[in-house]
Amino acid sequence: MARNQTEWRQRPKKLPPSHYVDPAIYSDPQLFDEEREKIFGKVWWLAIHESEVPNPYDFRTYQHPAGRELVIVRGEDMKVRTFYNICPHRGNLLVYEPSGNAKRLVCIFHQWAFNGKGECIDIPRGKDGYQDRVCASDVALKEVRTEIGYGGFVWVNVDDNCGPLSEHIGHALDYMLPELEAEPMQVLWYYQARLKTNYKLIHDTNSEFYHDYLHYHNRITGMMKPESGYFQRRYEAFPNGHASVGSMNVDYGAYKGGGHSDLGWPNLPTNGWKLVDLFPCITVNLRTSVLRIDTYIPLGPKDVILEFRALGLKSDTPQMRRQREKDAATIWSPFGRNLHEDLLASTGQGIAMTEHSDPMYVLQGREENQTIHDEIGMRHYLAEWSRRMGRSSADPYARETKTKSA
Amino acid sequence: MTTDRAAIEELIYSSCMALDDNDYASYMSMCSPDFTYRLTAFSPEVKQDMSWLDHDRAELEDLFATLPKHNSDRNPLTRNAVVYKVKINEEQKKADVISALQIFRTALNGGKSELFAVGKYVDEIALDGDEPRLVSRRVKLDTRDLGWGYHVPF
Repeated sequence: MARNQTEWRQRPKKLPPSHYVDPAIYSDPQLFDEEREKIFGKVWWLAIHESEVPNPYDFRTYQHPAGRELVIVRGEDMKVRTFYNICPHRGNLLVYEPSGNAKRLVCIFHQWAFNGKGECIDIPRGKDGYQDRVCASDVALKEVRTEIGYGGFVWVNVDDNCGPLSEHIGHALDYMLPELEAEPMQVLWYYQARLKTNYKLIHDTNSEFYHDYLHYHNRITGMMKPESGYFQRRYEAFPNGHASVGSMNVDYGAYKGGGHSDLGWPNLPTNGWKLVDLFPCITVNLRTSVLRIDTYIPLGPKDVILEFRALGLKSDTPQMRRQREKDAATIWSPFGRNLHEDLLASTGQGIAMTEHSDPMYVLQGREENQTIHDEIGMRHYLAEWSRRMGRSSADPYARETKTKSA
Repeated sequence: MTTDRAAIEELIYSSCMALDDNDYASYMSMCSPDFTYRLTAFSPEVKQDMSWLDHDRAELEDLFATLPKHNSDRNPLTRNAVVYKVKINEEQKKADVISALQIFRTALNGGKSELFAVGKYVDEIALDGDEPRLVSRRVKLDTRDLGWGYHVPF
């Protein structure tokens, strides 16, 4: 029997608050502003891979989820630094292109110039206009905390007072380190898409695997086979909201409709698959021959830029590189079997759960001994979200608490 | 041997219509046995060409056979090609053809059409038979943000 309005908006009676979610956390603009302040501006973000700035003077821009425009620069000393991408003179963008190489970052507006250390090295007619009231040493760029690690990725944190990256990651990436640090890597491709949905909903597609049934590709390449180890994959939760999923054996040969190879990856068992989700929306996903990195840039409660990188090895021959790209494309390119289905589903959630669509409480209640269809990954994530926000994800406005105390 | 530009152009346009109709059998009938298909885009972000689909004929046929089993965006596409350059090599009995490509997506719900992608077809066409045949197709996309993506090749 269908539910009436009261029943529809009722909290699930037999589940604890940790096992369901108030849909407002996916659509409320005020909550989103709070996320920007309490989460996005506090955590370490994976911005780029160091192979994107291999040479002195290479730069790459990055739109930080806390709202800052950043530029990542490799200096002539080969050190990678990050700065606000804003000219301290009149607030113009310093760098317009997403990547490039420049000995000096020169603002197009009044030609103020900066070096790879963020120092101002030229103010045209500076002395004439400012005399000694403003000099180059007063107007350096704003530097942002930057570290390189866990496979040569460039991580940034806009909070000057944050702890080190290792403190944020903890042991979450330990079980992938042998693969991530086996050899220098290089980016094969980069796919950026802007979708109208909430970033947490897309991240869910990496932190729950019940939806694997959605993917014909996954069903046929292993999950139904007892010997694949699929149903034995276990979640391991780590502090700060991170979680990993155990490996399984993927049978690419069972799928007709895309290239697959035996190329493999150093230290990864043949046809292996390892995945780690990092709070708040980074996924490190190594599947047989390709490393996929997801990084999302939330712009609003229903607006997100998704970044997908496929990586191979720097030592790859052109033939190996092409094969890895082909392996990646089969499932993860914008034409790939799985990515398209994930993005369709999470966008559908974004459409269905708006502020005014009267959505119900969202269930995250599956318990299967922390194995692959258990929803502990999402629950662990939202426990961290609740801790940082100072709000329960099941009751963000504390209505339940107020009702009980009244 | 066919060296008629009109026949070459008709092949390009027919290939668009076949894919628009999801008529994969017709599409493959326009391709030679050693047909290869590759879809690439250049990324200014990472400063390199990226390959997002890369298939030989057998792989493409397998892909077409598999598509109905997937959950996919069912909003139909309209491929609009304009043949720019046809370079016929009579000695090798082939032609190199470059066409501009615009792809529109029409929403099933409401019927609004929007530009989905722009790029080029770079085709090699065999002219040694009664009719021209596609030997290779490289789709070079200018558009890189394809939203949630699409399962059917361009």
